[in-house]
Amino acid sequence: MHDPIVNLQLLINGLAIGSIYALVALGFVLIYNAVGVVNFAQGDFVMLPSYVAISFLVPTITVFGFAMHWQLPAIGVYLIVLVLMIGFALLFTRIAYAPLRDRGWMPVVISTIGVSIFLRNFAQVTWGSQPLSFPSPFAVDTLDFAGLHVRPQDLLIIAVTAVLIAFQYVLFEKTPLGKQMQATAQDRTTARLLGIRVGRIVSITFIYSVLLGTISGLLVSPIFSVTKEMGSLIALKAFAASIVGGFGNIPGAIVGGLAIGVIETFGGFYISSSYTDAIAFIILIGVLLLRPQGLFGERIAEKA
Amino acid sequence: MIPRGWVFALVAFVVALLLPVIFRGNDYLLNLCVVAGVYSIVVMGLGILLGWAGQMSLAQAAFLGIGAYTSAYFTTHVGLNFWQALPLSILMSALVGVGVGYPCLRLSGHYLALATIGFGIITQLVLINWKAVTNGSDGITGIPAPPPIGSISFESYGTYFYIVLGFVVLCAYIAARIKATRVGRAMEAIRENELAASAMGINTTRYKILAFVLAGSYAGLAGSLLAHSIKFISPDSYSFDQSVVFLVMLILGGSSSIGGAILGAALLTLLPEVLRPLKNSYIMVYGAAVVAMIIFMPRGLVGLIEAFSNRLRRPEGV
Repeated sequence: MHDPIVNLQLLINGLAIGSIYALVALGFVLIYNAVGVVNFAQGDFVMLPSYVAISFLVPTITVFGFAMHWQLPAIGVYLIVLVLMIGFALLFTRIAYAPLRDRGWMPVVISTIGVSIFLRNFAQVTWGSQPLSFPSPFAVDTLDFAGLHVRPQDLLIIAVTAVLIAFQYVLFEKTPLGKQMQATAQDRTTARLLGIRVGRIVSITFIYSVLLGTISGLLVSPIFSVTKEMGSLIALKAFAASIVGGFGNIPGAIVGGLAIGVIETFGGFYISSSYTDAIAFIILIGVLLLRPQGLFGERIAEKA
Repeated sequence: MIPRGWVFALVAFVVALLLPVIFRGNDYLLNLCVVAGVYSIVVMGLGILLGWAGQMSLAQAAFLGIGAYTSAYFTTHVGLNFWQALPLSILMSALVGVGVGYPCLRLSGHYLALATIGFGIITQLVLINWKAVTNGSDGITGIPAPPPIGSISFESYGTYFYIVLGFVVLCAYIAARIKATRVGRAMEAIRENELAASAMGINTTRYKILAFVLAGSYAGLAGSLLAHSIKFISPDSYSFDQSVVFLVMLILGGSSSIGGAILGAALLTLLPEVLRPLKNSYIMVYGAAVVAMIIFMPRGLVGLIEAFSNRLRRPEGV
C-alpha cells in the first residue's frame, strides 16, 4: 500500500480504463436522454468498429474465410471506420428504434438486445471465434520514467478522452446543435413546438453515441484483444458508472466512469484479482442503496 | 362452454405427454424437451415478477444457478437424494429472492434492471471463485438422477421429462391460482400504478417482495430440475446472457400470460434447433427474428394466437 510508484502506475491504468467506461457511459446517457431508453447494444458499438478496423490494418485477417491482404495506413483506416459506423448508426436507428418509438421502453430494450445477439454472431461468422490482436499505434509497449512503467496507449486513451470531453462541453454549451440536442432531451414535445426537427436530432444523437463507442473501441483494442464479447463487460460497467454518477447526468457519467476504472484497478491489485469484475457492481449496489439519485443527482426521477 | 384458454392448455398438455413417445430413442431432442420444460418454469416465475408486479429482473439465470448448485451440493457432498434436495433449492432461491427484493424496493425500470444485472454478475463470479462449494469453473459432475419409483428409473431423459412436466403443470396451476386471488390483483395494481395501489391500502412492499420470492422459487426449482437432468453443472450456464434470453422468451410469449410464458420458453428453446441447418449463422437469424417479432407481434405469441382465433370465430371481422 505504500509504494508510490506502484500506486501511480495503478492510477494511470485505472484512469485509462476508466476513460473508456466514461466514453461508453456518455453514449448510454446521450441516447437515454434523447429517447428514454437504455441501449443494450452499446457494447457492440465498441466491438464492431474494432473488427472492421482490424480487417483493414492486418494483412493476415480473413473475412468470411477470405484473406484480405489489406494493410492501409492507420489514420486512413480510422477515418474509414468512422464513416462506416455513421452508416451503421443510421441503419440501427431505422431498424431497432424507429418502428418501436411509440410503444414505451420495453420493446425498444428487447429490440436492442436482438440487435446485440445479431451483431455478436455476425462478428463470429465474419471474423471467426479466435481472439484477434490489434496492432498498437506505438513502436514501444511501455515507456520507462525512473522505474515507472507507463503504456503509451494508456496516455493516448486519457488524452483522447480529455479532448472528447472538452468537445462535448463546447458542443452542448456553445453550439445551436448542442442546444437543440439538450432541448430534445428535456422535453421532446416542446422542442418540436419550437421548430426543432426532433427526428433528425434523435438520429444525430444515435450517430454521436455510436462514434463515441467507435473511438473507445479503437482506443481499447490494442490493450485487450478483439473478441465478440469485448464490448459486453465494458458496456455493463459503463452502465453502472452512469448510474453511480446519476443517470441522465453527463458530468456524472464521466466522473462515475473514471471512478469505477480507478477503484476496480486498485481493488484488483490490493484485494482480489478474481473479483475485479464484481467491484463495479458492488459499488453500484452500494450507491443504489445509500444514494439512489447517484453522486451528482439525476435529471429524470424514475425511482420513486 | 369451456374457456378457450383451457382448451389450448389441454391440447398442449396431451401433446407434451406424447413427446417422449414421439422422440423415443432420440436423446438429443428429449433433452431439449426437458430443457424447454425447465425454462418454462423459470419464465413463468419471471412472468409473475415482471408481467404481473411490473418489476424488471435480469437475474433469473442467477436464481436458476443458485437452485442448481444447492441441489448439486446437497446430493453430491451431503448425500441427500433429489426429492430431499429439491425443497432446499427452492428455499435457498426464495431466501436470496428476499435478499435481492428488499434492497431493490426503491428502484424501478432501468435502475432495477441494472441492480439485478449486478446481482447476476456477482453471483456468477461467486460460483466461479467459491471453489470449496462450487468446484470453480470445472463445475460439479456426477449429480445423481432421482431415485427410481418402483421399476421406473429416471436415468433417461424420456422418463425424467414426466417429472419436469409434472412440475410445469403444478407451477402453472399455482400461478393461475395466485393470479385469480387478491394477491394477483394486488400485484397487477402495483404494475399499473404503484402510488394508487398503495392509496387503496395495498401493502406494496409486501407484494413486491413476494413477487421476487415467487420468481426466485420458480427459478430455484427449475435449477434443481436442470441439474439432475444433465447431471453436470458449470458457472457459464448461469450468465447474464441467459437471463436476457429468459426475458426475451417472456416478452415474445406474452408477458402477463402464463400460457405465453410456457409458449415463449418452449419456442425459443426449439427455434435454434429449427435454424440449425443454417450452420454457425443461426444465432444471427435468431437475433434478427427477435427484432422482427418484437416489431411485428406487439402482444407476443399469445396476442397473435388470440387475434387469429378471433378471426376464425367471426369471419366478418366484427
